[in-house]
Amino acid sequence: MTITSAVAPSPTTQDRRPRRGRQDRSSQQRREAIALVFPSLVPIVIFSVLPLLQGVWYAFTDATLRRNDTADFVGVDNFTRLAGDSFFWSSFRIGLIWAVSVTLLQLVASLGLALLLNSDLRFRSLTRLLALIPWAMPPVVVAIMWTMIYTPNGGPLNAALGAVGLPSGINWLGDFNTALPAVIVVGVWIGMPQTTVTLLAGLQQIPTELSEAAAVDGASAWQRFRNVTLPSLRPIVVSITSLNFIWNFNSFGLVYVMTEGGPGGKTMLPMLFTYLEAFKNRNIGYAAAMGVVLVIVVVLILAGFLRTQFRKETA
Amino acid sequence: MNRTSTPVKTLQYLALAAYILFLGFPLLWLVSASIKSSQELAALDMSLLPKQFHWDNYAVALQKQGLTRSAVNSLVVSLLSMVFVVLLSMPAAYALARFKGRLRAVGVGWILVSQVFPVILIIIPLFIILRDVRLVDTLMGLVLVYTTFTMPFALWMLQGFVAAIPTDLEEAAAIDGASRFQTLRRIVFPLLMPGIVATAMFAFVAAWNEFFFALVLIQSPENYTLPVALKMFVGGEGKVALGPLAAGAVLATIPSLVVFSILQRRLTGGLLAGSVKG
Amino acid sequence: MGTRRLALAGAALAATLLAACSQGSATNPDAGSGGTAGGASVTLKFQSLQDQPAAVEAVKGIVDSWNSAHPEAKVELIQAGWDGIYDKLVTQFNGNAAPDIIHYEAASIVPFARDGYLADLTSKVPADLKSDISDGIWKSVTVDNKVIAMPTELQTYVVFANKKLLEASGATIPTGDSMTLEQFRALARATTKDGQFGLAWGLKSPTATFMSLALTSGGTFFTGTGKEAKINVGAGELAVPKLVKEMAYTDKSIDPVSLTQSGSQALASFYAGKAAMTVQGSFQAANIKKDAPAGLDWVELPPLAGSQGTAQAANPQTLSVNADSPNADKAAEFVAYFANAENTAKLNQADALIPASKKAQDLILSSTGGKDGWDMTMKSAQGLTGAPFLAVDAYTQWKDTIATPSFQKYLANQIDDAGLTQALTEGFTQVNR
Repeated sequence: MTITSAVAPSPTTQDRRPRRGRQDRSSQQRREAIALVFPSLVPIVIFSVLPLLQGVWYAFTDATLRRNDTADFVGVDNFTRLAGDSFFWSSFRIGLIWAVSVTLLQLVASLGLALLLNSDLRFRSLTRLLALIPWAMPPVVVAIMWTMIYTPNGGPLNAALGAVGLPSGINWLGDFNTALPAVIVVGVWIGMPQTTVTLLAGLQQIPTELSEAAAVDGASAWQRFRNVTLPSLRPIVVSITSLNFIWNFNSFGLVYVMTEGGPGGKTMLPMLFTYLEAFKNRNIGYAAAMGVVLVIVVVLILAGFLRTQFRKETA
Repeated sequence: MNRTSTPVKTLQYLALAAYILFLGFPLLWLVSASIKSSQELAALDMSLLPKQFHWDNYAVALQKQGLTRSAVNSLVVSLLSMVFVVLLSMPAAYALARFKGRLRAVGVGWILVSQVFPVILIIIPLFIILRDVRLVDTLMGLVLVYTTFTMPFALWMLQGFVAAIPTDLEEAAAIDGASRFQTLRRIVFPLLMPGIVATAMFAFVAAWNEFFFALVLIQSPENYTLPVALKMFVGGEGKVALGPLAAGAVLATIPSLVVFSILQRRLTGGLLAGSVKG
Repeated sequence: MGTRRLALAGAALAATLLAACSQGSATNPDAGSGGTAGGASVTLKFQSLQDQPAAVEAVKGIVDSWNSAHPEAKVELIQAGWDGIYDKLVTQFNGNAAPDIIHYEAASIVPFARDGYLADLTSKVPADLKSDISDGIWKSVTVDNKVIAMPTELQTYVVFANKKLLEASGATIPTGDSMTLEQFRALARATTKDGQFGLAWGLKSPTATFMSLALTSGGTFFTGTGKEAKINVGAGELAVPKLVKEMAYTDKSIDPVSLTQSGSQALASFYAGKAAMTVQGSFQAANIKKDAPAGLDWVELPPLAGSQGTAQAANPQTLSVNADSPNADKAAEFVAYFANAENTAKLNQADALIPASKKAQDLILSSTGGKDGWDMTMKSAQGLTGAPFLAVDAYTQWKDTIATPSFQKYLANQIDDAGLTQALTEGFTQVNR
């Protein structure tokens, strides 16, 4: 068997092998699948599917959070109103910029760190632990801490910049132009451990023989990376990147504590906007419509991305 | 691994140092804030070393808001969620990765939708359901909620790891007469270990850091989890008792670091090495 | 085999955790108002948000004195945090699990009242308390002619000054009953020199400050109530924002960084002597007393006065009763007891805030001797009056998505007066659909 076919999982090979009897196999498969999936179904249906259906239902009603509110069906009224809501769409744009930037930066930075942690440098255990620090901190602490670091007059970031002669007076969170980038950095910081851990696990799963065989064949480090490491990592990269995109798009607690959506609405993420509509304005119907629209758009974006990845996989 | 030349090695160490600085500096700052008096914290000049070591903050943090109690609550809830998530997700993730067709489409569809749909919109229906099964204000209810909401991404992640394991091994075992279950236990599970560890860490952290559900589902202070207890240091008008909050945060970081150090040793794989014969 | 041992360990761990977990469950599975209605004794759940240790002690004292006098209706104190309490209350009310007695603030509790969740306390207000608290403050806790909360603690915006820096600039320190906006501006100009600003004003969240101080110049922003409210942004409404902008860009007497910081963050410049004055909530007097560096000789200046006097919006902390509580009557009695003069005097003195009752204010003045800024704080309290924006349905939405970003842009000199007026009025039309 050549290296490439051993590395790239090809589900279609299963179908090419001789079968006992088509029908027996597929019904047995189905039974096995159901048995495997069943234990997880119970809590999922009760605690996730049911509330989700209720949430989606709200989008087609005029539900509010009033006492003994009667939620009347209003069809697609909420959606037509949403189409013309410029504030929602502007927050949507900010959300996209935020999610794409943070996800990409996370991926690149974490891949670098995972590669370093996977190599035979010293102090591996210690550095692996230190790399997990952002994960160990509750988000409220992270937000307050970074706000302190970003303090313009007397904060450590500006002090450090001043010490090396760079401009040291930037008001990171207060300046209209630097607020979103500053918050993106914190987003990357807080998301690095999960991506690093996942990529590291993926790297650990690659058999060392494969890269050794490639080295014996005369491949350079970069070639080994491109032809052995990356292809093996692909399914994991796909899953963690799409997850990160979803999480980042959905996050709002961190940004809310740091900037409350300001200055001037420059960091108003769509989830924050939806939260304000649902809880502050108590129009849960309209907010649910926002949620549905957000789901549809994110799924469409991801569907495009995932389809290209799966197509590459089966090629 | 292969030998790498010295300049490359130096670069690697430098890069590693840069990463550690970026990731670790805020914690250092937090520790420094936790031993400063409120006077120093309110002043303009923020140096790393406090002018006077002020250990009171730790005493205040421990006394006030029942921090240790909430830490224990968080630990229990997070560990249980982690165990449940891994146990329930493993078989389902395997099914998702190996069996094509409608199951996979439905699974993927539900995973995406449940992750993207704003949690704040389902919190009220969820609260009512929990109230009806009398699990509101209980740690067990919180565990169930965390398990349910962590499962989508655990499934998604694990199925990525399963997909990365070549099917040849399982096919070889099937030829040798092993049942699906035996294949799962003897071949897939050991190979999946790094992925399982990664998923377990995820699940632990998701439960450990989670704030919103804990805030609205828990009513009695003795059931508060750590993030909720820490938030109580932030008073009205955004008044932050920075010293005690930093002290509480440093204390809060320790248990998770301990769990990480135990788990991350299992991240070392190499179990696949030698099992794929050319 | 390794895996078997691992599985056993995992099972043992799970078993211990499950045991620990069930111990941690709530003692009473019925969330929400507890106790047997109509039985021998009931328990009233009182969700309190106090975070300062001295205030927590004061509340405990009040609860204990009530419990000893009323053993048949004991109050159980439940501590919750300010941050996140809004979301908690929304879920509690909608899930029918809210406590009997709810501690919050007027601006945030009014929406719950309009949604019908709060009990009507009008008949429970003792006559002497009614006359002791000004009409303006009562307005802030009245919805549809029903009193839905008792006011307990209030604050005003006041100016703190560095005595030495003021004297060094040759200015006289005002000591009367009020200080006009022009005087204030002149003081800032006089104390601005190299390396020192006249004023540090933490306006990261400017809306509450501007809405409140606009009343000094007669700027009410809104007329009408509920969904029919109308917005009007005129000279009175723009007086204070305009003043800040001119002080920042023309006089250059405000530290520009402070405009993007919170009030507490802006204190740092004041402590370091980089700013001669700072505008803060009145409660900061206690923090300044504790945190200011040793050599700082600070003083609280008289309340700010615009063309219409020293009026500021009253947004008291409140105690309300859950309308669905089975013991609403008894809970209302407790709330009235809590809000009386003696109790609120003790609480506010501990919390460095202002009681609603005049009798209580006098109690504090005599007990503190007016020191540490108390005399000026009480003077500023005389201007507290009802705020029109409390009665507007879409106020919170407008505040968070329109007003705050617009004010921030205005202070950053990105839009001018006309732009601000347009943004505020058009934004309100859009969120009020």
